[in-house]
Amino acid sequence: MKGSVVLPTQNRYFLGVDVGSVSTNLVLLRWDNQVEQALYLRTQGRPMHTVQEGIKILREQIGSEAEIIGVGTTGSARQLAATLVGADVVKNEITAHAVAASRAHPGVQTILEIGGQDSKIIIVRDGVVVDFAMNTVCAAGTGSFLDQQASRLGIPIEEFGPLAVQAEHPVRIAGRCSVFAESDMIHKQQLGHPLPDILAGLCQAMVRNYLNNVGKNKEIRGPILFQGGVAANPGIRQAFEQELGQEIIVPEHFAVMGALGAAFLAQEKVSALGQDHTRFRGLQLAESNFQARSFDCNGCANHCEVVEILQEKETLARWGDRCGKWSATIRERVGNVEGGA
Amino acid sequence: MKIGFPRAIFYFDTFPFWAGYFEALGIELQVSLPTNRAILEKGLKKASDDTCLPIKILSGHLASFSPDIEAVFLPRMVSIEEKTYLCPKILGLPESVLAAVPDGLRVLTVTVNWREGKAQVQKSLEKLGAELNKSKSEVRVAFARAQEYQREYEEMRRAGRTFVESMEHFESLSSSAAKTQPTAQLEIARDDSVRGSEEGSTRLPHSERRPTIALIGHPYLTYESYGNLNLLAKLKAKAKLVFMENVEQVQIEDNLKDLRKPLFWSQGKRLLGAGHSYAANTYVDGVIYLSCFGCGTDSMTQDMLARRARANHKPYMVLTLDEHSGEAGLITRVEAFLDMIERKGNGFAPHVRVKDAKSQ
Repeated sequence: MKGSVVLPTQNRYFLGVDVGSVSTNLVLLRWDNQVEQALYLRTQGRPMHTVQEGIKILREQIGSEAEIIGVGTTGSARQLAATLVGADVVKNEITAHAVAASRAHPGVQTILEIGGQDSKIIIVRDGVVVDFAMNTVCAAGTGSFLDQQASRLGIPIEEFGPLAVQAEHPVRIAGRCSVFAESDMIHKQQLGHPLPDILAGLCQAMVRNYLNNVGKNKEIRGPILFQGGVAANPGIRQAFEQELGQEIIVPEHFAVMGALGAAFLAQEKVSALGQDHTRFRGLQLAESNFQARSFDCNGCANHCEVVEILQEKETLARWGDRCGKWSATIRERVGNVEGGA
Repeated sequence: MKIGFPRAIFYFDTFPFWAGYFEALGIELQVSLPTNRAILEKGLKKASDDTCLPIKILSGHLASFSPDIEAVFLPRMVSIEEKTYLCPKILGLPESVLAAVPDGLRVLTVTVNWREGKAQVQKSLEKLGAELNKSKSEVRVAFARAQEYQREYEEMRRAGRTFVESMEHFESLSSSAAKTQPTAQLEIARDDSVRGSEEGSTRLPHSERRPTIALIGHPYLTYESYGNLNLLAKLKAKAKLVFMENVEQVQIEDNLKDLRKPLFWSQGKRLLGAGHSYAANTYVDGVIYLSCFGCGTDSMTQDMLARRARANHKPYMVLTLDEHSGEAGLITRVEAFLDMIERKGNGFAPHVRVKDAKSQ
């Protein structure tokens, strides 16, 4: 960081929050760029509650002396999270993941990221993103599908990967579509194939599907980083290594890379603005009462579904309207909500 | 006499032609409202599930016409220039969407096929004229006016006038009523579409340096602000936009010379030619190809342009729309693309361009 306007001391942290469909991750970044705390929580369809829960846990860990001097949010609920915590920077997942990966592994050229509901590939050259892709409407080949299959087979998701790597003869499973993959898998079970072989086959199918869809037309060069919740699965990692014929690196904080990237981005932003500019609303927000409600606007034929976020009956933000009639009235106070409305 | 003109597909590139034709014949056109949720939902119910988003939107517009108009106009656009065709789904009109036309509403059609030369187009227009009780000499005048308007439109766009500005001009010419009977709803919809598609930038801080993005796509996607989830406004908030329509025809042809064989889709030719020219343009920071699921011609051209963009080290992204497109996915991609450009060597500083230029 040039300029070094910020001189963070022991008790000052940057907070990164990544609210995704399946998990909500929070990372506290120390002044020396080390991770102080990393939380991986299940969103369970309650993003606001989960963020508050996360803040509460962090507060218990770092004590009330600690100070948050910059906040970044990312993930599909980045806007919601930004409103809730008061973020200095709101960034898309691709930028956040790329930033975290290049900090964790400066020479990285390819980032494979598989999360709960989406998967992406990011191509980096000389520390700069040059190309990327995200999966389209199909959720085949994401963490949710693996979760679903693990529970169907009656094994905890944590055992999925370790079992898969024990396979001796992985079976071939159609990975084009998760519905077909499932029926194919059942067929293989009925034929009597051992469980590890089926799991390994599923990993291979998922990797093939990922490379054909998300990785299509991309120049995959090493070093390759594999991150996102699914990187916890050694079966998938092994399948990537076999398919690409290269070593796959799983970074230490693979599950929270989005949040880590958001924390680094907050650091960048705060150091550019000067240290006392954080919009963070304070650790006490864990106790505050937040509410979300929605209504249909009848101003025109579009009937937009407008979402309103309230804290103790005060409106913090609104979005969802196409014309800006509702969101514009409130935007100034919240500020910095990128891609809003 | 008042004829309904759906604000879909051919509206977005040949409306001025038809505005000129009907105006010269003394027939008023009533263009349907900008697409809204109700129109799209009707379209989804009426159109075949397998077809593309623009045809579904067209079906919605047809289904939304009120019975107080005398007919609805649905040309069969086969070809708009020599040696080319339009896409098969457009060739399939009007029959493929007749199910969406409200019962009892008359459909006026005409076959436009420039492959067979101007004389044939003239004949077709005469046939249409005869149905409207117009003489051959009246049609000749109308045909000339149609071509004049179309040329005028294309010049306006090349000169940098926005789509909305240009079309408002031609719509006001073709419909005297448009000015006298705007309902409140029409007013809102108009306002929304203006801001939505072209004027988004005016509300933004101008202090930041903004990248230049070339947005390549079929006009019926690029300017369909409801269907594309207000993409233009989202981009204009952060970038300067250039379009296919800003590129001269000569330049388009020039940029297609090195193809192994000529493309025979006229839209595809324009998209790819303009795309090639922007991919080689050092003042353009990135190229976005806007496509939709089920588009056959795009499946070829978007990939051909990807190869050219990569060869020129030009940031490139394809955005694919359909009726299920969520705004979240679109915003994430657009933000990531703009971030990519911004973070690429501290933005769009001149030294980056110099380096690019040398490497080509």
